[in-house]
Amino acid sequence: METFLGKIKDRISVNFDLEKSSIDIEKKRVDVQIRKEQIPSILRYIKENMNFRHLMHASVVDWLEEGKFEVIFMLWAPKEKIRVFVRTKLDRENPVMENLDMIWPQLNTYEREFKEMYGIEFTGLVAPEEFILEDWDGPPPMRRDFDTEAYAKDVFSERIGREDAQDVRETIAKRSGEVIPDFAKKHSR
Amino acid sequence: MDYGIYQDKLTRIVSDIARSHSLWVLAYGTGCGAIEVPATMTSRYDAERLGVRGAATPRQADVLMITGYLTVKTLKRVIRVYEQMQDPKYVIGFGSCAINGGMYWDSYNTIKQLDLYLPVDVYISGCMPRPEAVLEGFAKLQEQIKAGEAIGATKYKENLDYYRGNQKKIIKNWNFPDYNW
Repeated sequence: METFLGKIKDRISVNFDLEKSSIDIEKKRVDVQIRKEQIPSILRYIKENMNFRHLMHASVVDWLEEGKFEVIFMLWAPKEKIRVFVRTKLDRENPVMENLDMIWPQLNTYEREFKEMYGIEFTGLVAPEEFILEDWDGPPPMRRDFDTEAYAKDVFSERIGREDAQDVRETIAKRSGEVIPDFAKKHSR
Repeated sequence: MDYGIYQDKLTRIVSDIARSHSLWVLAYGTGCGAIEVPATMTSRYDAERLGVRGAATPRQADVLMITGYLTVKTLKRVIRVYEQMQDPKYVIGFGSCAINGGMYWDSYNTIKQLDLYLPVDVYISGCMPRPEAVLEGFAKLQEQIKAGEAIGATKYKENLDYYRGNQKKIIKNWNFPDYNW
């Protein structure tokens, strides 16, 4: 399996100028990172020449500290039962990418979601303005710098009686005399 | 002697008793709580012995259950549904999300106080409320109806400005027709 995954990685890296690449034998997975200009050609190549015909999922990670959005396309080869993850990083200030729904039509739906939830623009995307959010005029809500609590407090009024909400884990531990170790306190909520 | 006033009162008492045993619940689920409703309606808990049944359309229904969290987008539809329902009509807030936002207390899209937007007759606590709790809520509603206290719909009409004001605050693109009663 190791050599097989290695071969796939080599075949991609021979044809494309990758920024990063790695293989995960346990998860049967090849990971490649590439510049955003190369994304349409690499997806088309992997789909049509290497038999990764199935787009499992497409996703976005918000790397706020780096100032980047990472778009990930997860591909699957039904015959060989292995995955290829194609990653690319976009500038957070101006996230623009090429429309890709001619490769997999279902990418249209993902792109609409990215546009609405992260504010990523796809040049040439033909789709209605709204996806899930209706009449939304705030910032894209899935961005990490969107303070959802402050927005909720601003827009909706909170019912009185929640101010003294207690930490459930701590309260129960105190009641039953349980001692929570220090390392577990942070994750106990 | 004029018996009209007594007749009116008697008619109201009798019709309230009759109404309390014929609650048609609109088959409309807003959140995850809708999954408890089939369990309540079917053979084990058998809500029909209390006179609680499902209704297909808003115009045939008496009870609107807000089952769980209510987003702004759904609220728009719920208001429309509620205003289509004919008197007598009652609202049941179902689960902790309908009461105070529940686990969505900091969500950008979930309302935290249902009674700002619709008149709620009964709240059922729990996350989720079990069918026993749902039946308890219906029993409470029946008591209120018999006592003539479930007058949410009347209050809604009387204080329409208050409810409309709250609704318009969060529904940005307001495209409802203007009603007059």
